Amino acid sequence: MKKLIFGILAISFACSSGDKPADEQAFLDELDSMKIEGPAISEEVISDIIQSIPSPLEISVLLKESGTKYNSAILNTPDNTSKYNSNYSKALNLGIFGTDLGYTNIYQQNQDGLDYMASIKELADGLNIGQFFDIETIGKLATNSKNLDSLLLITTQNFNSINHYLQEQNRSNLSVLLLTGGWLEAIHVTCQVSSQDPDNKELQEKIGEQKIILENIVLLVSFYKETDSNMKALMDDLLKLQTAFDAIEITTTYKESTMEVIDGVMVIKDNSESHVNITTENVEEIKSLTEAIRKKVIS
Amino acid sequence: MKKLVYLFVATLFLTAFSLDAKAQCNADSYSNDCIPKLSGGFNFLKSYKIDGVGGSKKKVEYSYVFTKGTQYMINICSEGESTDGIVVSLYDSKRQKVGTSEYQGQKLTAIAYPCNNTGIYYITYTFSESSKYCGGSALGFKR
Repeated sequence: MKKLIFGILAISFACSSGDKPADEQAFLDELDSMKIEGPAISEEVISDIIQSIPSPLEISVLLKESGTKYNSAILNTPDNTSKYNSNYSKALNLGIFGTDLGYTNIYQQNQDGLDYMASIKELADGLNIGQFFDIETIGKLATNSKNLDSLLLITTQNFNSINHYLQEQNRSNLSVLLLTGGWLEAIHVTCQVSSQDPDNKELQEKIGEQKIILENIVLLVSFYKETDSNMKALMDDLLKLQTAFDAIEITTTYKESTMEVIDGVMVIKDNSESHVNITTENVEEIKSLTEAIRKKVIS
Repeated sequence: MKKLVYLFVATLFLTAFSLDAKAQCNADSYSNDCIPKLSGGFNFLKSYKIDGVGGSKKKVEYSYVFTKGTQYMINICSEGESTDGIVVSLYDSKRQKVGTSEYQGQKLTAIAYPCNNTGIYYITYTFSESSKYCGGSALGFKR
C-alpha cells in the first residue's frame, strides 16, 4: 500500500512540476517582479480592445500605393535605441520601431529593415520578450525582395505573439504601450506625408479616421493612469491630441449591404458610405501635437 | 489510509480529465492553418481562436477597426476542408449585420469585405450542427 501511495505521489509531483523546469520558473519569477499594480478593469476587456486596434501596416501599404516615395528621414533612427532604459520607453519605442520596420518592409528597403530589426530585438530582449523575434530567419528573408510576403507575415506574427504573451503574463500595460507607440508613429508618418502632399484627400481622410482609433487608445491608457505616473502623463498628452480630433466630423450614410458568392467566397458589397470632414488646418494641428508627443517619447 | 488513496486517485483523474478537456480544441493549430489560405494578395493581420468549449459556448466574438478603402478577408478552418458548421458573421458598430458566410444552407469558408465605412466591426463565430465546436480563423487585408 505504501508503495502505491509513493507511486501516486511521485506521479502527482511529476504532473504538477514537469512543465516548469527550474530555469523557466526563474524566468517567470523575473517577469513577476516586473508587474505593476493592475488596473481595475479585467485583462479580458483590455485584451479585447487591444485586439481591435488596426495594424500600422495598413497605413504603410496605403502610403506606398498612393505613390509616396520612401523617406527614412521621417522615421525614428535606430541610433536612438540605447537611450531607452525604462520599461516604459522600451515598450513605446518598440511599437514605434515596429511601425518603422513595417514601413521599410513595404518599401523593400531591406538594409534599413535589418537595422530596425536589430533595435527591435535589443528592446524586446530588455523587456524579456526577445524570444519572439527570430532575427536569423528574418535576416535571410530580407536578403531577397521576392520574400516580401513571408517577411511581412513573420514580423506580423512576431508582434501578435508578443501581444498574446504579454496579456497572458498580465503585462498588458506593456502591450498597450507597444500599441500606442506603433499608432503614434503611423499617424506621425501619415501627417508628414500629408503635409507635403496637401491635395491628397485620401491621406487627410485617413488622418481624420484616426479619431476612432485614438478613442480606444485613450481608453486603454486610462486604465493605468491611477497606478502608473508615466501612463498618466501619456494620457494627458493624448487627451490634448484628442481635443484636436474633436473638430473632425465623420458622417455615415447607412444602406443595407448585399452579398454574392465568387469562387467559393462570400463577397459582401458595402452600400454604406462614410465621409470625413477634415481640413488642411486640422491636419497641421494634429501633426504639430503628434510631433510634440513623439518627441518626448523618442528623445 | 484507503481514503487517502482514493483522494489521490480522484485528484489524478480530475487533473487528467481537465487536461484532456483543455486539449480537446487545438484552435491555435486551426488558426495557423488558415493563414496561408489567405490567398489573392491579402496580407495577414490577425488570427483568431474559435473554441466553443464542446458546445457550451454559443458564440465567439472579436472586434477590429476596419478602414474605408481597404478590403478584408476572414476565413475559417476546422477539421479537414469543411468549416464543421462554423459560421462567421460581420456586424458594424451599430450591431447591424453586414454579412455572413452562410448562404442558402451552405457554409462557406471565407468572407471578403471591401470596406466603405471606417469603424469598429464585430467578427462573430457561431456554430450550426457542429461536431467539435472547434476551429480557427485568419483576418487579412489588401488595398
